[in-house]
Amino acid sequence: MSHADLALGGHTPVMEPSPFAIPAKKLAMWLFIISDVMTFAACLTAYGFLRNATADWPRPFQSSTVINVMVMTFILVSSSLTMLLGVRAARAGDRPAAFRWTLITLAAGVIFVLLHIRDWAALIGQGVTLLKNPWGTGLFGGAYFAVTGLELLHVIGALIAILIVGLGYRSGRYSSGDLENCGLFWQFINVVWMFVVPLVYLMNVAS
Amino acid sequence: MNAAEKQSGTGKFFVVYLCMLVIPALEVVVAYQHIGGSQMLAAMLPLAIIEALLGVLFFMHLATETPRFIVFVAVFTLFVLATINYGWTDSFRLLVGAPFAK
Repeated sequence: MSHADLALGGHTPVMEPSPFAIPAKKLAMWLFIISDVMTFAACLTAYGFLRNATADWPRPFQSSTVINVMVMTFILVSSSLTMLLGVRAARAGDRPAAFRWTLITLAAGVIFVLLHIRDWAALIGQGVTLLKNPWGTGLFGGAYFAVTGLELLHVIGALIAILIVGLGYRSGRYSSGDLENCGLFWQFINVVWMFVVPLVYLMNVAS
Repeated sequence: MNAAEKQSGTGKFFVVYLCMLVIPALEVVVAYQHIGGSQMLAAMLPLAIIEALLGVLFFMHLATETPRFIVFVAVFTLFVLATINYGWTDSFRLLVGAPFAK
């Protein structure tokens, strides 16, 4: 009998049912994701606001950038699938397969980060900084780096979380539910990228 | 989870995966059309929303949650998006009035 039961005079405490019939950790992750929607929505809206309100907004992206972004998109969407397969394997109790898919997801995420950094390096090499660029309003660099930087920060954070939880899941410290929660966050990052690509990159392709 | 369920479930996810790869390709086609910014946005945003919905419903498994939870997520998310986007008209005013717009 636990201390809590003793405090209640030996009666089993009545537990409140889980809201929405999902585990508490998963609900917490969904609440975090909804709050993160606010962050990204605010950032993307501010970006769109500035772009709309600025007459000489540059459209600097060449075909090479578009190809790079499409490769990044392919990798990120593919990593979403591998994460999903990892979570399904974890649910089925197949720890080795779940860990294998998690490692593939991690590798894809690292490639995405490297391509993202290459994209940044190319723009910085052309003279784009937070406050100025060679083409038009200086707001472009600040807005671009803010939106893509926030995405990149999320990707790096998620990769660290996936690595820790993946290793913990393999050793038995974490459950399949924990891996699923990590997977939820990874999928969310993928969903955000769906909006970053058209709004930040494709609408600024040089004509 | 039996083998048949596993197989059919995976097939569904591969179809969603392919759709999520085709949609960005369509967006690239739109990006190279010689149309205005607002027309481009009107063409790309619905594609992005469809792609995001596919991700949320199938890859994040929202479609298999309870209806109450789906409503909860939808209402809160749409409320957040609506409140953040209420000031758009001001950006058109800034186009002609704000110092940094010049």
